[in-house]
Amino acid sequence: MKQAAALSVWLATAGAAVLLAQRIITNPKPDAHLKVLFPNAAAFSPLSGDPLHFTAYGSDPKTTPAAPPLGYAFWTTDVVPNEHGYHGPIHVLVGLDLKGTLTGAIVDYDSEPYGYFSVEPPKFAAQFKGKTIHDAFVVGRDVDAVSRASISIGSATRAIRDSSRIIAQKFLPEAGKD
Amino acid sequence: MTTAAAETWRDILAPQALDLSLLAAFIVLAMTSFFLKSVRLKYFTLAAAVGYMGFVKSSLLSISDFFRLTDLSLPPFAYSLAWYLFTAFVVVSTVLWGRLYCGRICAYGALTQLMDAVLPAKLRINIPARIERRAAWIKYGLLAMLLVYYLVTHDLATPVQYAEPFWMFTLFGTKLMWIGLAVLLAATVFVRNLYCRFLCPVGAALGVISTLTVFKIKRWSECNSCKLCEKTCEWGAIRGPLIVKTECVRCDDCERLYLDQQKCPHWLIQIKRARPSAAPAASAGPSAAASSAPSSSS
Repeated sequence: MKQAAALSVWLATAGAAVLLAQRIITNPKPDAHLKVLFPNAAAFSPLSGDPLHFTAYGSDPKTTPAAPPLGYAFWTTDVVPNEHGYHGPIHVLVGLDLKGTLTGAIVDYDSEPYGYFSVEPPKFAAQFKGKTIHDAFVVGRDVDAVSRASISIGSATRAIRDSSRIIAQKFLPEAGKD
Repeated sequence: MTTAAAETWRDILAPQALDLSLLAAFIVLAMTSFFLKSVRLKYFTLAAAVGYMGFVKSSLLSISDFFRLTDLSLPPFAYSLAWYLFTAFVVVSTVLWGRLYCGRICAYGALTQLMDAVLPAKLRINIPARIERRAAWIKYGLLAMLLVYYLVTHDLATPVQYAEPFWMFTLFGTKLMWIGLAVLLAATVFVRNLYCRFLCPVGAALGVISTLTVFKIKRWSECNSCKLCEKTCEWGAIRGPLIVKTECVRCDDCERLYLDQQKCPHWLIQIKRARPSAAPAASAGPSAAASSAPSSSS
């Protein structure tokens, strides 16, 4: 009887803990990140479309309806949701200009055990700025390999490469051809 | 996938080939040392564990690997073949033989065992068995606490950085992490394998799995009264006639004694009985002796 009571307390605690566990969602307010990716942009569309993306405009489309876009920004987790690192997806916000060149990448969230020395230091994301969708994105060749965290580095690199190519194919018919 | 240049299997496999073959070679070495009960090969394995599994690969089993199972978050298979081979080996070997991983695969355990072999024995403090038995439970408490912490916060990085020392092989740590490690290693000089025996949550989790062990260490009927192995065991895993599976790391020390016909009372008694007729068969291992079939410990 005592054992059954102890067991049910344990189960209840464990159940409550699981329910309380915070599910990780994409950063809902990446405005500061978007500014870094497109410093010249006057306005950004809300996150929309398929795949989900932000469109960056040089002048606010509310005042200039014919404003051409400067490029696109998107979460790797929206475009390639199945790409998992060591522990779940690594949330990277990527900017892509109309020529298919990356304007930057920002690692916003990850839960990688060795993330603190692999994908979190800004040095990692910084190396993607200026790469094009036609680059190889091979760790150890054109992406710096931080040895001993190859799963995290490899996953973030594939996520940035694949999501950029998918966005380019969809929205940049000229640059996306290959 | 609709990428500009789809990857072929070759593109995926080629970068992993070296890592996979070295890992397979290391596993073969470790299992050879285990099956041959060779002391020299075991030390060779321990050195390889520190060098290759530790400083080169730094992909030791971590408590985060167990916690990730709660949300089924695993690395992609095709790109992480070595990780899957390693994980499958750890799980299968633990079910078959017990905490073999702790005894010769884990780079940190290998490091402290090598420290133990090199440091002068007089520095060592022998903890009374009574305290040792209680202290062995600390790691299970730690495992439970960390599990609750993970389920509530979903934070893997903090346990990896502060509850286990395996990050040390990456050489990436904050000042606080290095200080904690220094204290732990300093204490290990006096108490052998301190972390593995009393604190390691990974060892505790493997200890839970090891209760399933298929191939147990055999015990003779003479083991009921003999204390030779119990005194030799560096892991506090032998209590009278019993081998405590959750503490045993399959270091081979007691099994080597079983095989020693000059030391193990089982053989001494056999030899005494056999003396009038003929000399004992030198090659007879424990399994070949039919007169007193060894019983499995539990």
